[in-house]
Amino acid sequence: MEQKFTGFKCKSCGRVMYPKHDRCLSCKGREFEEVGLGKEAKLVTYTKLYAIPEGIEMPPLILGIVEFSGGVRAMGQLTTDDPKTGMKLRPVWGKLRKMKDREIFGFKFEPVNKGLKGKSVNEVGG
Amino acid sequence: MRDVAIIGCGMTKFGRSQGDLMDLLAEASLRAIDHAGADESDFDSVYVGNMMAGELVHQTAIASSLVDRINLVPAAAERVENGPASGASAVKNGFLAVASGAADLVLVAGGEKMTEADTDVITDLVSTMTHPTVEYVHGVTLPAMAAMLTRLYMERYGLSERHLAMIAVKNHANGMKNPYAHIQRLCTVEGAMSSGVIADPIRLYYACPISDGAAAVVLCSMEKAKEFTDKPVRIVGFGHATDVQTLQEREDPAVLKSVQIASQQAFRMAKLEPKDIDVVETHDAFEILEIVQSEDAGFFEKGKGHLAVEKGVTALDGELPINPSGGLKARGHPVGATGVAQIVELVWQLRGEAGERQVKDPKRAFACNFGGFGNNTVIHILERAW
Ligand SMILES: [Zn+2]
Repeated sequence: MEQKFTGFKCKSCGRVMYPKHDRCLSCKGREFEEVGLGKEAKLVTYTKLYAIPEGIEMPPLILGIVEFSGGVRAMGQLTTDDPKTGMKLRPVWGKLRKMKDREIFGFKFEPVNKGLKGKSVNEVGG
Repeated sequence: MRDVAIIGCGMTKFGRSQGDLMDLLAEASLRAIDHAGADESDFDSVYVGNMMAGELVHQTAIASSLVDRINLVPAAAERVENGPASGASAVKNGFLAVASGAADLVLVAGGEKMTEADTDVITDLVSTMTHPTVEYVHGVTLPAMAAMLTRLYMERYGLSERHLAMIAVKNHANGMKNPYAHIQRLCTVEGAMSSGVIADPIRLYYACPISDGAAAVVLCSMEKAKEFTDKPVRIVGFGHATDVQTLQEREDPAVLKSVQIASQQAFRMAKLEPKDIDVVETHDAFEILEIVQSEDAGFFEKGKGHLAVEKGVTALDGELPINPSGGLKARGHPVGATGVAQIVELVWQLRGEAGERQVKDPKRAFACNFGGFGNNTVIHILERAW
């Protein structure tokens, strides 16, 4: 099942934001509609975190900032252990971590070309 | 507004301390009061910068406790919390109280007791500064954010790991000359570059330690300062600005806009420019931040800050010494104390009381304290007033 990664579009000026704010960052409008941000995003920067927080199973935890085509960015976990700036990723729903015995779910990002045998990870957009 | 003077300052040794939070705050405060020669004076207000006393040492309303410990009753007393910029925010509040005429004599203290807690607990508590739903639950920590900023700088501006190591070497060397510093040990570029990776590309030596400590300053009107000292230091400007909370939503994640805005405010208020500053203390919780802050404050062109350390510009004997105290890297980072400790260091520097790490004859100084990861910045500019 495909889940849609959504942002919040200001009904007054049309700016799309993620996360949600109670007032639009551009025009202070207070009404929003949820809109999909797209199926693909580009990796802007990343880290391999070795000093991991509670409820993450194994270091390193790969975290990155991705940018969707409309320019909206999101931070999240990456499912690849070989991230490259500029690579194309898509949001996938999954378990993020455990916090006090509660499992937290959310979007992570996986390489678009995952599973295509013989394809090189160099095939990434700039 | 009235002119405001710093007439005395003091701090505890930073590091792992035997005393509790109140012991630290009381020690730093009494040192500042003695340095000011204000032992017999009645204080109007007390501001205590502290981030996590409730969470870490199970004590709340600590400002009330401090005035009781050192007999400043019935002075108005309150704790100021603004993340790791709690200290600078407390100084700012003290400044405003005197500038407005609401108070004549003010004590500002900042302190934190951190080393009794596990590192994991501290890292988690500090991580709660991040956005609760789109950063924190994903496992985002401050080192992770600093690492992502570092990578942007490496890929965009040609920063190398070596530059981060060189800043660590400089700040360790300065810390060696600071008897109050947590870390008093030299390090080498090679040593720093072979330390363990916390959050790639950040290694242990590119990040500050966890420390206990407190620092304090005494403020009064410039008029009244003459009664206490021949060497008052004037607070000529401050700036305080915020940015959106998440790193990803910033206009440009490699730009610390709150540093830009707060610095511009402070320079405008002081009627000064970056070239007028002789010595700087930055909030180098991670060495990358010394570079980014020094650029966004206006001291170096964007993307060129790392060249300053390479050329020795920011060394003790350079054109613009940065973090003569050793910075957060070597002096240590008891979060609520840091912003006050930066001011203490700069007052000592301006008064020529900084001992072995004395910068040559500085007239004006600049401090940058961070209350989040670039989303809340407090700046102060100080000037010799004699
Ligand atoms: Zn709007």
